[in-house]
Amino acid sequence: MAHLLLDSSIRLWVVLPIVFITFIVGVLRHYVTQLLHNEKKVDLQQVSDSQVLLRSRILRENGKYLPKQSFAMRKHYFNNPETGFFKKVKRKVIPKNPMTDTSMLTDMMKGNLTNVLPMILIGGWINWAFSGFVTTKVPFPLTLRFKPMLQRGIELLSLDASWVSSASWYFLNVFGLRSMYTLILGQDNAADQSRIMQDQMTGAAMAMPPDPNKAFKSEWEALEIVEHRWALENVEEELMCQDLNFRGLFS
Amino acid sequence: MSSISELYDVSWEEMRDKLRKWREENYRNSEQIVDVGEELINEHASKLGDDIWIIYEQVMIAALDCSRDDLAWSCLQELKRQFPDSHRVKRLAGMRLEALERYEDANKLYDSILQDDPTNTAARKRKISILRAQGKSSEAIRELNEYLEQFVGDQEAWHELSELYINEHDYAKAAFCLEELMMTNPHNHLYCEQYAEVKYTQGGLENLELARKYFAQALKLNNRNMRALFGLYMGLFATSHQPYTPQNPEAQGFAARNRDEVDCVQLKFQHIHGEGLSC
Repeated sequence: MAHLLLDSSIRLWVVLPIVFITFIVGVLRHYVTQLLHNEKKVDLQQVSDSQVLLRSRILRENGKYLPKQSFAMRKHYFNNPETGFFKKVKRKVIPKNPMTDTSMLTDMMKGNLTNVLPMILIGGWINWAFSGFVTTKVPFPLTLRFKPMLQRGIELLSLDASWVSSASWYFLNVFGLRSMYTLILGQDNAADQSRIMQDQMTGAAMAMPPDPNKAFKSEWEALEIVEHRWALENVEEELMCQDLNFRGLFS
Repeated sequence: MSSISELYDVSWEEMRDKLRKWREENYRNSEQIVDVGEELINEHASKLGDDIWIIYEQVMIAALDCSRDDLAWSCLQELKRQFPDSHRVKRLAGMRLEALERYEDANKLYDSILQDDPTNTAARKRKISILRAQGKSSEAIRELNEYLEQFVGDQEAWHELSELYINEHDYAKAAFCLEELMMTNPHNHLYCEQYAEVKYTQGGLENLELARKYFAQALKLNNRNMRALFGLYMGLFATSHQPYTPQNPEAQGFAARNRDEVDCVQLKFQHIHGEGLSC
């Protein structure tokens, strides 16, 4: 393994500036996103549906604290073949086409503008400005496959793949500074890119998944198989067995 | 009249933290809030920074409670100036109108909020409390039912509905509401105990047995709940005296066990009672 000694001015003039730039750009992105952000209009129907689903889930989990009759009544309300909520209620689902739906289109554009564009611009600039030399070494060994990706300006066949160029240091920073953003900007900040990618997959408790019918069906199935095992069956005996510890109550 | 900070020797930071604690834990000690808050607003407004807006809101609501209309009005003016189009501030204005018993105007204000934003729960709840304040409990119950059909998860509303039903002596429906609360908060001994009390009030052997079980559960969750202990005692006493019919063969053994349990609880009760009297 080659032991290379890098000029310390690389550290001063390349590594630190890239960290600085990435951080500042991230903070700027956060504020710009906040400025361009518009209130998400919450639909009454969606809120109501999400709460109903929550209630059904709680019924499944904590139903054992209710008397048998009450549990059966609620289960019946949800699952009855003719009049049950999950069976009867079918929501009209308009599949939201991202191309034609205007609000989603503007949201997407804004998202692209504030996140992808700066990344491309700055990545390109760093590639142009800081090219031709090795910036840093990753602490773990990499295979030769990574060489063309991580060693962009450096055409050396014999160089270890662990030595990377400044572009890869930049990308490392973009993802690595996430926790710094949380520290400084608080939770839920817009500079956090990976969270944005996650957001598209998971849904919050307020916003409904695009297809409530599917959610209802899965909830119906889950509720069908739950049976009621009353937790309070032997509570009195249990209470009598243990000492109620009244000694220190009034001291 | 000396100020709070002189009386109790506290600094403005401590007063602010106290207000925050009261706010987060939903205390309703309005007189204290008004005293502390008024002094904070008048003397230390500049040092509070952005905290001052939420303190204005808290003090305003407390001032309405103490019928300090002057203070409420000044807080409202400040908030209106800072947040001119806010639904939250509008709701506070509506609350002030309610306090002045101008219910029609308050209703109009809330309707305008709801036109803007149909999902605003605060405005709906204020409308229902107007009905309650006017004494129209059947309408309040109807409105609250409609509200709960849409917002099934609102625990405050379920509790309010259970209170309304208890006032109307409709114990079955009150029990339903309390069951919702128990379901969402299974470890809260107070809901268990309230539910047991409602069941006990309904009467009948089955309900009494349920009541006993839930009193026992409340005691298990918190063994310092005296009401639950008393309820358990009364429940055991009541069921041990119920006539048992031949259709219920286990009732005999039940009655015998009940007697034991009654004695057991009685002993424990006397124990505390004795200790309680001695101190």
